[in-house]
Amino acid sequence: MGTLKRHGCRRTWSLLFFAILMLHSLAIYLFTRGFLLTRTELDVHSHQDDHTGIGPGCSSWPPPAVDRLVIVVLDALRFDFVAPSTFFQEKQPWMDKLKVLQKLAADEKTSARIFKALADPPTTSLQRLKALTTGGLPTFIDVGNSFGAPAIAEDNIMHQFIKNGKRVVMMGDDTWIQLYPDHFNKSYPYPSFNVKDLDTVDNGVIEHLLPSLRKTDWDVLIAHFLGVDHAGHIFGVDSTPMIQKLEQYNQILEDVIDMLKSLSTPGGPHENTLLLVMGDHGQTLNGDHGGGTAEEVETSLFAWSPKTPPNDVLSVLGKSSCNVDLHGKEVCVSTMQQLDFAVTVAALLGIPFPFGSIGRVNQELYALSAGTWDYRNDCTKQNDLVAWMQRYAEALCVNCWQVKRYIDLYSASSVIGFRVEDLNHVADLYSKAQANWSSVLRSTCPSETGSQDELKESVNKEHTSSALRLQIDAYSDFLESFAKLARSAWTEFDLWLMGIGLSLMILSVSTQACMLMKLNTFNQTSDKEIASSSFTPKIFFAFALVAIRAASFLSNSYILAEGRVGHFLLATSCIANVWHSATKGTFVIEEFAFLLLNILIRFGIEFGMSKQISGAIVSNDHPVSIICGLFGSSFCSDLMEIFPIISLTLLVCIILKCLSFAVSQRFLKYFVMSGSILSYTFIAIHWASESSLFSHAIAIREIGISLAPRLVYAIGGLSLVISLLYRLFGSADRLKVNERITSLSTAMLCSWSPTILLLLGRQGPFVALICMTIAWCIIKLQQKHQREFKLDREIYVADYISVTQWSLLAVCLFYLTGHWCTFDGLRYGAAFIGFDHFQIIRQGLLLSIDTFGVSHILPVFSLPFIAICWHNSASKNNKVKDAAFNSLIQVLLIYGLITSTTTTLTIICVTIQRRHLMVWGLFAPKYVFDAIGLLLTDLLVVMASLYYS
Amino acid sequence: MAARVVLGRAWAVGAAVGWLGMLIRPAAHFGWCTGVARVRSVASRESPSGLAGGGRIMGDEATQVSAFSAGVAHALCFAGLAAAHYLSGRGALVSDPAHALRLLVVFEAPLVIVVFSLLRRDPKGCSFLRAAARGLLGLPTGAFLNAFGAIVLGAPIGIKYWAATTYWSLLMSLFTFVPAACVFGASKVNWQLLSHSIYCRPTDAVDYMISAPAHGAVIGAWLGAWPMPLDWERPWQEWPICVTYGSVVGHLIGMAISLVLVVTHKRRSRPKAD
Repeated sequence: MGTLKRHGCRRTWSLLFFAILMLHSLAIYLFTRGFLLTRTELDVHSHQDDHTGIGPGCSSWPPPAVDRLVIVVLDALRFDFVAPSTFFQEKQPWMDKLKVLQKLAADEKTSARIFKALADPPTTSLQRLKALTTGGLPTFIDVGNSFGAPAIAEDNIMHQFIKNGKRVVMMGDDTWIQLYPDHFNKSYPYPSFNVKDLDTVDNGVIEHLLPSLRKTDWDVLIAHFLGVDHAGHIFGVDSTPMIQKLEQYNQILEDVIDMLKSLSTPGGPHENTLLLVMGDHGQTLNGDHGGGTAEEVETSLFAWSPKTPPNDVLSVLGKSSCNVDLHGKEVCVSTMQQLDFAVTVAALLGIPFPFGSIGRVNQELYALSAGTWDYRNDCTKQNDLVAWMQRYAEALCVNCWQVKRYIDLYSASSVIGFRVEDLNHVADLYSKAQANWSSVLRSTCPSETGSQDELKESVNKEHTSSALRLQIDAYSDFLESFAKLARSAWTEFDLWLMGIGLSLMILSVSTQACMLMKLNTFNQTSDKEIASSSFTPKIFFAFALVAIRAASFLSNSYILAEGRVGHFLLATSCIANVWHSATKGTFVIEEFAFLLLNILIRFGIEFGMSKQISGAIVSNDHPVSIICGLFGSSFCSDLMEIFPIISLTLLVCIILKCLSFAVSQRFLKYFVMSGSILSYTFIAIHWASESSLFSHAIAIREIGISLAPRLVYAIGGLSLVISLLYRLFGSADRLKVNERITSLSTAMLCSWSPTILLLLGRQGPFVALICMTIAWCIIKLQQKHQREFKLDREIYVADYISVTQWSLLAVCLFYLTGHWCTFDGLRYGAAFIGFDHFQIIRQGLLLSIDTFGVSHILPVFSLPFIAICWHNSASKNNKVKDAAFNSLIQVLLIYGLITSTTTTLTIICVTIQRRHLMVWGLFAPKYVFDAIGLLLTDLLVVMASLYYS
Repeated sequence: MAARVVLGRAWAVGAAVGWLGMLIRPAAHFGWCTGVARVRSVASRESPSGLAGGGRIMGDEATQVSAFSAGVAHALCFAGLAAAHYLSGRGALVSDPAHALRLLVVFEAPLVIVVFSLLRRDPKGCSFLRAAARGLLGLPTGAFLNAFGAIVLGAPIGIKYWAATTYWSLLMSLFTFVPAACVFGASKVNWQLLSHSIYCRPTDAVDYMISAPAHGAVIGAWLGAWPMPLDWERPWQEWPICVTYGSVVGHLIGMAISLVLVVTHKRRSRPKAD
């Protein structure tokens, strides 16, 4: 009867943990849906021979209108750098510096124009370049096959350039080379990461720009200047270096324009060239960018073609926003979306539009290039304007067809698609617009060409013009409403979903806290005085540690320094322990060892962080290379080969020693022992065969490199299965409860640790030694705590501080092993230990074991060590078992509570900082890692509660 | 000119401090302090009136310190800090932390040792000189413990930080370890009384005077470390500047709290005595 009840009770706890897991999953799913905007990259490209659209004039990609294109990108070019100061309320020092552009826009109204270009956030250079070339909206997670490398796999204009025989020259920011590793005929990249360097990139560009303009071996030239961006980051917009930079640019642009003018005579190399001077994004007055404020989003684009289009262009350009400039001349400014850039450039150069582009061919930019006015079709009677409009309508027709093709394929194949009603609405607009097309075509090209009736012709013209205008409007309507839909799906947060997710998280945390309190009172009914006297400050201290760590996520600096914060708190708790026992006069050697190990951890974390900041990979085993710096390099490389194997040997000795004490069941003991010896031997063989210190035959080396790791994984899996079987079928009643739990957890840890150690690389044994020693210290101190309160009766109370230290240690280990919370912090090399080829499930599994093994899997499975009562001499009676189990549940609950508290705070911070500059660089990755870590911890807690019960 | 201003300030606090300041100012090296302390102690015994009246009371009844003498003791320690601060000049801690910290230590060390040696336990069994020697011995010991704690918590250990770390830990030792060493010596039982439980139960006034400022200094230093990782790029975020600020502020708050505790403690114990 009693046994039955007990088992029922244990199941209930596991169910409760499972309920928490479900609640957390739901909360995180909802929050993620609202916060992390997801878009699926499609690996489909447009081709020159695509059979496009319907009807005549719309059956192939538009013909080229310009021969050559010069794109000068000035990074972080604010709109007010270019537009005359008369457009703004008051003149600022940094305005009116690019005088040559303003003068051109005022003097040559028909061939030059200033645009206000609106970018979509995130306004960081890399994301902007991606958006400019693909014509899409980049989001935080572009689900695609660019796994780690930033190279763009989606269709883009650079890809279309090389596919269609356009030769591209690039100079300046080396981000282009990262994005397009082999798209350039010639490139002069310069490093962009040193923000303090204002001139290297710019001088490099200046050196190559003018000579390149004289050459004829390219069709598209891209010159990317970085000075303004860097000047803004360091000095801010209102500063002397910024103004000097702008004046320098003015000079360069003047030279470029003079050169183009002199070479644009008929027959010259730049007869039909278009010059675009543009920014990729704006910046705030402090020089920040990344977010979505007007200052960051508004950048400018200046277009000029040396060949002047006919005067009719003025009626296309419109006079929506005109103002007199400083010299009393009229300057007009148009507005465009950066989204439209890719497709407009493609239409001008006559190449296929990028497959995933959702922009619209920009009317004004299209009209500015004189080439689009040279167009004549079969009906020669039309005037320039009507002919141009027809050409533009044809381009839009193809444009619509291409966007519709993208929508159809995207909805069919994406992870998270659009809403059905929205899709229907857009499809409706499309079919309406296309249905009209053929009738418009008929009216523009009347069949009775012989008619000479002036009146009829003019009426006809009028009719044609209005029909074309209507058609253009219909197409624009479709394209704009789809862009709006895409923007809302890909760049706007859903605050409702985020709010619901957040409140569910808070609910779950309070539920956990309530459960814990209930369990506490249940456990302590017999001993009120203990509860009142000494537990309250301890609980308070543990809570303060967790709360401080959680609150530190509010600042991006602390997220960046999370490893150091975790270590600081761990060291604080340790010092507090020492202080406590020093005043009690019960100082033990473990506390001192703990302090010393803290110093080791600290150096390890600092080394890992320095690697993160510089971005360069120093070596795989960083704690060792500190020592390496002290000695010579040859000695060092030998040491680096030998040290891991020495520490591995030491580790194996310790593990075997522990095993012989910990596992009491004979069969399990021998199995686990032999499994461990074998695994560690294989690991040693693997490292030895990788090293250059020993010379092997190639065959042996191959075996060592590929076979040994697989055998380690296999042994790990096998011993996992064996320990599960032992748990299921081993007789539980013969052993004392302590011995049973110890055997079970030791077996579990021994089956995981060789795999994790192997994946961690050569730093593994060293870290494992630190980790084991610290764990030993924490366990010893916990025992001391138990002895102090003489808990050898039936009460078991978990030590809150030990559990908190355990979780802080887990955080420290995550950073100590060279991980950090960004996607380039993942150790991709670990996924390929023992395997050469990429397979998403296998490599993903290995990568996640490497990432979360030492910080989540091992800590949760070793929690029983701080839960059980060591010096208990009681027998196997049921009451003791129940109490032990209660204590275990309590520890698991506390650990889960700590993890979910920190994750909840992370979520709150992400919500608050969702418009922060670093939201995509720092907060969002941190959120992803924490969310996955929380779910994993919950899952492991459920498994542990089932396994150890 | 600057020296005159400093002297004027110091006189306003107490003549003894000014006198010490004049003696110590040319002595830029810490090793001088021992001599200075000796001279000072001899001087105080010869003319007790030099201590502005507080010395006599403290010397006579070390076990039952009055609120007034506690106030004077703290005021002297504070005056040492203030004098060193004015002498080093505005912003010296940020521009040259090692120099400013050295000045603070040089000023504070003799004051703390003298004041707390006068307040020693068991004044009959233990001479003033012996208490001062205990304090001098406690200074490097406490500095070592403090430096060790700071390194455990993550203080940088590069060569360019060594001087600053050394002086900082000496200062922390003066705030935390030296007073207790002067007063208690090697008595283990007394040291163990200095835990946080001191605030819960009534104890001796000297215990409050030692432990509250010491706790304040440690907690202040701990809190002072928090701005260090922030990306404000201010010069004072360097080790050990903000930590020093934190510990000094914490120490002063601790002094104030200890005074309040001493006063309330007197109020509580007086009716009992009646």
